[in-house]
Amino acid sequence: MSEVKMVGLTIDGRTVRAAEGTNVLQAAEQAGISIPHFCYHPAFEAEGNCRLCLVEIEGLPKLDSACSTVVREGMIVRTSTAPVLEARKDVLEFLLAEHPLDCPICDKAGECKLQDYYDRHGLFPGWFLEAKEKRQKKISIGKGLLLDRERCILCTRCVRYLRKVTGTGELGVFERGVRAEVGTYDDAPIDNNYSGNLVDICPVGAITDTDFRFKTRAWFLEKRPTVCPRCSRGCAVIVESVSGYPLEEGERRVFRIRAGENPAVNGYWICDFGRAGRRDIDEGRQERVIKSASPESELSWQKALADVMARIRSVPGPERAAKVAVILNSRMTREELTLAKRLFAEGLSLDKIFFADPKPGAADGFLLTEERVPNARGVLQAGFSPRLPDLDALAASVEVLLVFGSHLLDHFSEEAVSRALAKIPSKFLFSAHTGPLDRLAEIVFPLAVSAEKSGTYINIDGLRQSFGRAAEPAPGVVSEHEILGCLAAGLGLNVGEHDVR
Amino acid sequence: MSYAPSAAAVKKIDGIIAPYPEKSAALLPVLRVVQDELGCVPPEAETWVAAKLGIQPIRIREVLSFYTMFRRRPAGKTIIQVCRNLSCTLAGAEDIIGFLKERLHVGPDGTTPDGRITLVTVECLGHCDHSPCLQIDGIDHGPVTRDGVAALLEELRAHE
Ligand code: SF4
Ligand code: FES
Repeated sequence: MSEVKMVGLTIDGRTVRAAEGTNVLQAAEQAGISIPHFCYHPAFEAEGNCRLCLVEIEGLPKLDSACSTVVREGMIVRTSTAPVLEARKDVLEFLLAEHPLDCPICDKAGECKLQDYYDRHGLFPGWFLEAKEKRQKKISIGKGLLLDRERCILCTRCVRYLRKVTGTGELGVFERGVRAEVGTYDDAPIDNNYSGNLVDICPVGAITDTDFRFKTRAWFLEKRPTVCPRCSRGCAVIVESVSGYPLEEGERRVFRIRAGENPAVNGYWICDFGRAGRRDIDEGRQERVIKSASPESELSWQKALADVMARIRSVPGPERAAKVAVILNSRMTREELTLAKRLFAEGLSLDKIFFADPKPGAADGFLLTEERVPNARGVLQAGFSPRLPDLDALAASVEVLLVFGSHLLDHFSEEAVSRALAKIPSKFLFSAHTGPLDRLAEIVFPLAVSAEKSGTYINIDGLRQSFGRAAEPAPGVVSEHEILGCLAAGLGLNVGEHDVR
Repeated sequence: MSYAPSAAAVKKIDGIIAPYPEKSAALLPVLRVVQDELGCVPPEAETWVAAKLGIQPIRIREVLSFYTMFRRRPAGKTIIQVCRNLSCTLAGAEDIIGFLKERLHVGPDGTTPDGRITLVTVECLGHCDHSPCLQIDGIDHGPVTRDGVAALLEELRAHE
């Protein structure tokens, strides 16, 4: 490892050591001193345009911006002297002089940096008599993004993001002075798979997402981290949901998914495909156990699972290898896969263990990978050699079939699957979302989605990432973990449920 | 519509770009050459310059809209640029601009229907010591008064 040279400096009387090349803002942050800032973002070079991060540096005649000043040996920095506090107030006052103050109807309220900084560093009475400039408040800039030019504080984070990170450069700043405004080139829309990050990085409510706009208030949301399940990159994401609120019919539970920070995987960004995963959590879900013989009756999953066990037991031990089959998938967690291995391969000695996953998509050269499952490495590590079933062979010999997930249809036509399943006496479907396979199964079990579970995924680079439950499970759903544990217990098999990692 | 400058202009542009390690650094002087030839820098020219310098057209638009010395639309035969920056405003630029609007019947950045005169308001012309000041076809005048401006307009007409 190359030696990183450390520099010693003093910030607010505290001795701080920071790597050479670090800026004062970062060095202070590392020492637990936060300096307010709008335009600085750790992913880009400092631009120093907002002036909120002004600090006192001994030996300099004027305040200087902490974000664009690199640490020097012996530097003495003060971040909360009277002139600094005064300067912060002034900067905020200038910004607010042209700000519409429409916080009551602004989606960013409650998580807006301008609002928070005014509360912490401003609190001056407004005394501008001049009318504020009227600007466009609802400009569609592409992909469900809306730009409000009155709220924009011209920090250029969005412009720099599209230049430095996606390299697509759809936004620019036109005109100058009081007329300066962010915009697209001749209305050419923002068009890349990472546009949702603009909403995350805009410090104010100038860029909003139509999927979230006016749907709730930021302070109602509970924010919990997890790992995105939509491809094999395993980006850190934050699931923002309401819990403890009785939901009305059709009301949202998960309001948005945002990028989490993970320097080892995704930095600060996630793709729009992953962000759209919020729909997987709320929409098209299986809501209860449905037994085709008595579709109306309310049935607990434990009771229904007794039927599955009875059917497995009805196949004599030595014949199970040939007559019982399971279809698993690479969205299952590492723990669930270990359980499945112990239960199906070791406990029941099944031969017919297959996998059906979503079809690969195109990788985009940045984060999104071809594999549209999060845990293909976990499948291998659990000791499986994943392969698709041969439908004819299944139909010819199998008496009991357990299907986890609905992705058989990504590989076979609905007709071919119906034909094969018609020949199998007992088939059970475990699935989070409703789909055409439902009507073919004897019993359908409503599964939890990954945000509702805890577990471990192993990403495309072999990185093990454990995550906790990020959203309260929808009522009535059950995880594969619970299903497999219960099956094992019922069948009298010891699968060592507590050491599955 | 596509645009290509004259062979002479291209030669000049190539000469301007040559010494810069980073081609885009030559943006301002290159835009001047284009504007000298066309009288403005229309969208087709933005595309041409962008390709020439290896940057996106949006970067050109940013620069064109920032500097008042560049025009994105054709101007009349004569351009009157009136400073609206601090010194001139304190010295009465707003009145001068108002007077010109009234006389010419055009708003800022407008051209008289006969195509003779374009009125533009601009940032500092560097003549604060002669504020309020204006520039007619590159020649500075200041400090100007309503009467002085009226005389200048007369002179313009006389020169036709
Ligand atoms: S839209 Fe948001 S991110 Fe972009 S410049 Fe304005 S305030 Fe900054
Ligand atoms: S954060 Fe330093 S100037 Fe904006």
